[in-house]
Amino acid sequence: MPRARDVPGPGEGVAVSFGDQLAQYVVSGLTTGAVYALVALGFCLIYNATRVVNFAQGDFLSLGGLMAYSFLGGAGLPMVLAFPLAVASVALVGALLERLAIRPARSRQVMVLIFITIAASILMRGVFKHLWGKQALALPPLSPETPMHLLGATFTPQNLWVLGITLVAIVALVWFFNRTLTGKAMRATAINPSAAALMGIDAHRMTMYSFALAGALGALAGVLITPITSLSYEVGVIMGLKGFAAAVLGGYGSFLGAVVGGLALGLIESLAAGLISSVYKDAVAFVVLLLVLFLRPGGLLGVKSGDRV
Amino acid sequence: MTTQGKRFFLALAALAAVLAALPLVVTNPYYLNVLNVVALNVLVVTGLNLLIGFAGQISLGHAAFFGLGAYISGILTGTHGWEPWTALVLAAAVVALVALVIGMPTLRLEGNYLVMATLGFNLIVSVLMLQLDDITGGPSGYTGIPPLTFFGAPIATDLSFYWLAWGAVLLGLLLARNLVHSRVGRGLKALHEAPLAAAASGVPIESYKVKVFVVSAVYASVAGSLYAHYYGIITPKTFDIFKSVELVTMCIVGGMGSLWGGLFGAALLTPLPQLLAVVEEYKDIFFGGILLLLLIFLPQGLVGWLEGKRVRPGGRAF
Amino acid sequence: MAALLTIKGLSVRFGGLQALDSLDLEAPAGAITALIGPNGAGKTTAINCVSGVVAPNSGQVGFDGRAVLGMAGYKLARLGLTRTFQNLQVFGLMNVLENVMVGMHAASRGGFAAAMLRLPLLRRQEAAIRARAEEVLAFFGLDKVAHQPAEELAYGDQKRLELARALAGRPRLMLLDEPVAGLNAAETHELGRLIVKIKEQGIGVVLVEHDMGLVMRISDQVAVLSGGRLIARGTPAQIQQDPEVIRIYLGGGEEFGLLA
Repeated sequence: MPRARDVPGPGEGVAVSFGDQLAQYVVSGLTTGAVYALVALGFCLIYNATRVVNFAQGDFLSLGGLMAYSFLGGAGLPMVLAFPLAVASVALVGALLERLAIRPARSRQVMVLIFITIAASILMRGVFKHLWGKQALALPPLSPETPMHLLGATFTPQNLWVLGITLVAIVALVWFFNRTLTGKAMRATAINPSAAALMGIDAHRMTMYSFALAGALGALAGVLITPITSLSYEVGVIMGLKGFAAAVLGGYGSFLGAVVGGLALGLIESLAAGLISSVYKDAVAFVVLLLVLFLRPGGLLGVKSGDRV
Repeated sequence: MTTQGKRFFLALAALAAVLAALPLVVTNPYYLNVLNVVALNVLVVTGLNLLIGFAGQISLGHAAFFGLGAYISGILTGTHGWEPWTALVLAAAVVALVALVIGMPTLRLEGNYLVMATLGFNLIVSVLMLQLDDITGGPSGYTGIPPLTFFGAPIATDLSFYWLAWGAVLLGLLLARNLVHSRVGRGLKALHEAPLAAAASGVPIESYKVKVFVVSAVYASVAGSLYAHYYGIITPKTFDIFKSVELVTMCIVGGMGSLWGGLFGAALLTPLPQLLAVVEEYKDIFFGGILLLLLIFLPQGLVGWLEGKRVRPGGRAF
Repeated sequence: MAALLTIKGLSVRFGGLQALDSLDLEAPAGAITALIGPNGAGKTTAINCVSGVVAPNSGQVGFDGRAVLGMAGYKLARLGLTRTFQNLQVFGLMNVLENVMVGMHAASRGGFAAAMLRLPLLRRQEAAIRARAEEVLAFFGLDKVAHQPAEELAYGDQKRLELARALAGRPRLMLLDEPVAGLNAAETHELGRLIVKIKEQGIGVVLVEHDMGLVMRISDQVAVLSGGRLIARGTPAQIQQDPEVIRIYLGGGEEFGLLA
């Protein structure tokens, strides 16, 4: 199983105070957390539209990084074009996933649809491996890496880019769902598909938009995080699962929950790795996931704390 | 006995006859090995099918139960010198307890919280298998597991293990079939279809869901113990979430809620990756593609399709 | 008659709505107690409380002298209290016979281990369950469709299947939530006859129903609910002359044919 590499920690061999260390963990935790939030938002969008947990969400992240790599290196496009193009192309892949695999499915049972996304994920990884190979690739950061210092923490411009762009993306999403007709129609469909259909909303189209948006969010996460971690055809698998854990932590299906869950999970993971042991870093997210399900299944922001039968 | 019951025992007898005859034809140890792996998968899938097909709950953690069975058996016999059959029973008991701890809080909730919890559980188990290397041997695996014995004689060859594994499958199918055609089995089907009415009829819904989850975990654990003694070496990769996905896929492709479906699903999908190895470069593309097509167009599973079962749309219309 | 079911001071609020307001009610064995009232009067809420589907805000429910409020539905079934549902709750993919056999769940024994090992006790019991289910199916005239999937049955047959399932385990009290809703006159008449025969076996019946013709014909006592409160109680003859009941029904525009 591929593992996400840590965001650069404190300089090795340099004596740093505990407070500085803590600040460092917070910076790296928030950075990864923002990416988890983007992935969790993707899960949330598709879940609200279809009640399906989309297991291809992590592959959207991989594909975002890979497309950006090809637009930059292969096609020689400048970053300002390559990155938006990567996001747009993954949005298209998301829409195609809905149109070609989910919509024609002869069963509407959620269990079957979930496994369709799993099969799509296997297929997509196969295609990625074929097109981009198994080796690790590198995606450059958005701006030159001059380390900066604040409150004892060392961070790079990429940390700022990740946090800033995530914030912009969230604001744009909120605006889209509250201010545009399409956004409102998507919300209506999520709440009550049959009533929305009676109002003349094309529910299939709204579901497709949800998949496209989820694809775009995944790709954005990929473009932002792969310069920090690394890039390969399967980098998204573990990031996707952690994004899923973040969504559960926040309250599965809740937008605000996805953001809060993402940031909280990033912080918990980074602090646990730094202060306790980095050996079990990848287990932390899933221990958190289990604890949430056992103790507070509605998540941090869940309205209902798990209905009883 | 009812006609339904007769049909099952006829089919089981036919299967036993085919299994008894197969080694006369199949002598190549490579193919025997494939058949043995099929048998272990059928065992896990049979248990999983009780959970998915009858209680309507998905587990993405059965590879972890399979792996816990394997590692507990392996370590107890390899490091601590236990008698293999005793270790197998203890492993199953531990796995049952673990399943109880996971199932109790999540199965009383409405919706499919079990799928999330089992997924997380499998990932944690994978990390532990990798990281606790002084106990588990880490990424390179745990070696030196002795074979099982039958009245003192080691079950060390592919052929002797073939008899053991398929014997276990026949027994597993029989036990599962008995459960399905009992008051408990009817209660399980009922709680899946109309929980309120099932409860009003006296079906203890929560406890039945937890118990069927525990039973399915024990099937996986026993298969895992057998696996460990057969190969003598076990590695964490064999028990990761991809294996869990594969096991559930076997259930769905074969036909949920049909015990024969699990058999078909495992028999079809186990050798598929090896067959596709011919096109190594495109293996995942073919595997994912075939799965995708089956799920889109034959969601009732192969056995369901053969029986002419129609697709039952469910869930939300969108 | 000693009361089999006693309800005391039962109150339920759904948000701002007082669905039940301090309801007192008794239902004896071997008698039909009808619960009537306009839509939203709290009839279904009352039986949902008794059967453990809804948790009331306050009150007591006694069954055969035992406090049963808050008891899980499956335990009530074991004590001999079963129910049917207004919206059909048949097990659609199972056949009709199996549906009724599920109804025997509370009246049979044996857990997972016994079932998997198919112990002799269970084998004998299985035969008894099947025989009883066939008997009940014959009683309801469903024996000819015993092996059809329940979801393929006509609506009227599914309604009777619900009753068959509730009767199979030889309960002592049955809560019937609108058993004849949607049935035609002939089917209603026939089902009424069967409900009387159930009562004659000594089983207590609580009947929630809008069909006044049926209620007045077969009930031993009638309780009238309005706005969550019990406003009248008595024999069908007494209820038909109760001025308060007449006012509510005529005022509410509800069809109340036999009153006229």
